Amino acid sequence: MAVIVIKNLTYTYPTMDHPALREVSLEVEAGEFVAIIGPNGAGKSTLCYTLAGFVPHFFKGELQGDVYVAGQDIRHVRLEDWVLKVGLVFQNPFNQISGAKFTVYEEIAFGLENIGVPREEMKRRVEEVMALTGIADLADRSPYALSGGQQQRVALASILVMQPEVLVLDEPTSQLDPIGSREVFQVIRQLAHQGVTIVMAEHKVEWIAQYADRVIALAEGEIIASGQPAEVLTDPRLPEYGIGISRYTAVARQAAEEGLWPPHQRLPVTLEEAAAGFRAIEETDYARLR
Amino acid sequence: MVERLSFYLERNSPLHRLNPTTKLVVAFTLILVAFLGRGLFLPSLIFLLILAPLSFLGQVGREFLRTTLNLLLPLFAFLFVMQSLFYPGGKTVLFGFWIFAVKLEGVRFAFLTATRVLVMVSSFLLLLLTTHPGVLLLDLTQRGLPASVAYILASTLQIIPQMQAKAATILDAQRSRGLDTSGSLGRRIRALLPLVGPLVFGSLVDVEERAIAIEARGFRSSRPKTSLVEIEDRPLERALRWLCLLAFILALGSHLWP
Amino acid sequence: MRVCVENVHFEYPGGVKALRGVSLIIEPGERVAIVGQNGAGKTTLVKHLNGLLRPTQGQVIIGDWDTSQVEVHRLAQRVGYVFQNPDDQLFCRTVAEEVAFGPRNLGYAPERVHQLVEEALYLAELTDKAEINPYDLSPSWRKMVALASVIAMDTPIVIFDEPTTGQDARTIRRIEHMIEALRQRGKTILTITHDIDFCAENFERVVVMGQGQVLADGPKERILGMVEVLAQTYVEPPQLTRLGMQLGFETTVCTPAQFLETLRRRLGHYRANGLGRSEN
Repeated sequence: MAVIVIKNLTYTYPTMDHPALREVSLEVEAGEFVAIIGPNGAGKSTLCYTLAGFVPHFFKGELQGDVYVAGQDIRHVRLEDWVLKVGLVFQNPFNQISGAKFTVYEEIAFGLENIGVPREEMKRRVEEVMALTGIADLADRSPYALSGGQQQRVALASILVMQPEVLVLDEPTSQLDPIGSREVFQVIRQLAHQGVTIVMAEHKVEWIAQYADRVIALAEGEIIASGQPAEVLTDPRLPEYGIGISRYTAVARQAAEEGLWPPHQRLPVTLEEAAAGFRAIEETDYARLR
Repeated sequence: MVERLSFYLERNSPLHRLNPTTKLVVAFTLILVAFLGRGLFLPSLIFLLILAPLSFLGQVGREFLRTTLNLLLPLFAFLFVMQSLFYPGGKTVLFGFWIFAVKLEGVRFAFLTATRVLVMVSSFLLLLLTTHPGVLLLDLTQRGLPASVAYILASTLQIIPQMQAKAATILDAQRSRGLDTSGSLGRRIRALLPLVGPLVFGSLVDVEERAIAIEARGFRSSRPKTSLVEIEDRPLERALRWLCLLAFILALGSHLWP
Repeated sequence: MRVCVENVHFEYPGGVKALRGVSLIIEPGERVAIVGQNGAGKTTLVKHLNGLLRPTQGQVIIGDWDTSQVEVHRLAQRVGYVFQNPDDQLFCRTVAEEVAFGPRNLGYAPERVHQLVEEALYLAELTDKAEINPYDLSPSWRKMVALASVIAMDTPIVIFDEPTTGQDARTIRRIEHMIEALRQRGKTILTITHDIDFCAENFERVVVMGQGQVLADGPKERILGMVEVLAQTYVEPPQLTRLGMQLGFETTVCTPAQFLETLRRRLGHYRANGLGRSEN
């Protein structure tokens, strides 16, 4: 069943004269992990804010078309309670610290206090999510005294702990070290398997290729491609739109021009696919010479 | 990177275990009694016989005395010089030099004012040293303080060190571009401009994002709130708070008595 | 101008030991990337190079200046430092004024300031945006303004703190072009980065940091293949390096050119004698 249904969404911020999103249509199934790619300014954040209800309820402005999440029309939800359904993690981790709390542990519990979770359950959930996001050792630190990467993990944990049905993430790994980024993708993947619907804007195509179910490419407010990661991430138009592709895809494309990639084989998006393709080339070459 | 956001010192003392509202009530009562009560030595006795011993009971005696002195000594010096010399209507000259005369009334007034300020500052300091600000706000919220007021108070406590850290980063960025922030006053004032712009712009962006962030955490949720921390409140403490009210009435009475 | 970091220790006022005996010599014109996990001490280290931090123990020498003897605004003549967040530094009404701020502070003659500003704007692809208020630009372009405002200072050493964080492919290309132009001018370039592919394609030497120490330091072809050392500090080899390893390449490849060259050589090798293929 589709949890997110967007039809012909066009949205303009009140201070802007051109739409941030144009004629966007999209459906996302329960438990699906959808990644959104696109250059900065393409509308990725706006799409995230729309799903979380901040467009139009916080930013106001003009919204045309339909946005239904979990069967409800986004225009008619109450923002203050909508956050229970859709969790939002955005880019700047520093500004996601509530300011109301003095330790990481309390910070993560903040959302649960607000939605009235009983104390014992609260503690259990906070501790679980800290273990899941790898920040158990930060429990007693001040959230302000952490590095950008640590704050980013705290921001993620603070939303995960609220167990929303739909999780919207806007570049949640921008400040993390490489293995830290991959770990976040793994955690997100695991949540999707548990039935949480995920929409995540990201630049890190290698991990998108490996962990996402589907990729949507946005440029200038429009969806320019949508489908399986392998399909979208090898779309030859991506570089023209200023969208990054993985080194595997890029190098295989160059190799293909010299006949060093198996003819008629789709370009690779993951390490495994690239290795298999180039190994095949070496083997056919080797076999031909035998 | 500021780790310590308040005066609070973690200890396991009877004073720390008191309900935060009890401590707040006691602090206010002591201040009111000091200001309303009669007797030249009342405020100093409150400090010496109640506040100072309590600070040692709370295992924060050294920090309490040191911070109090650091905060107040310059003020006291100023008060004594100004009041003992210029107190209007002073008649009893203790001693004089050149064109100045030190008058008894002025010294008495300065002493009373100084010790009252001492009680005021040190009562709050003792409260802050032994009470986690988050717990205090939580307790007040549970007693009916609106959550938004508590939030503003809590975030204000944190915003100052944050702004300091941000200002330090901006200053570093501009010094790295060759901005000389030392030297004459004029030069320093000119050097302020490159700091103010980023600080103000940054704060505007921050305010919007922060509003989104706390909304996303269900801050305005219509559900009844719960709390992570349980705050104790014993019958004995309730009695103590009533006692404080009594003390306040007595002090007020003595103040109004002709 | 040579950078010499000698057994530097640094402890923050709170007592956190951020650097624990770091030594590093960087020759003029080198391009060095510093990688490592969050909290490894990377930013603390580079803040020592322009005097924002001074060692608790050990010393940092830039050319013939000891950073603990020279003020930050004077060290700015030798070391340019681009902060991670452009909004921490932009304050002028136009992009051109913003870019001119640094060179003016350094006391350069007006003609030279003018020329440096023009050149920096050109390198940052900002020439057509010179008269715009930086705050009317998108965050990506503000980043380019911040970069231009530091390279206009024409310092022999330039430091970038996480230049690609949150940037899209197009902006990263622009930054790469800028780094290439600085290389041609013989500048020493240092960057802190989590983007290990960017590191592999634009820098020649890699310093791996973990827990306040240098875990490995050398040419990228040696360092980026050290899977275990990198993993200690939460870093993985670049994509093409990992691919090369999977394919059993004898050498560590870092860039597309190196990868393709090795591939061609291996294929040519089979073609030449058909049998010499290494087992894998």
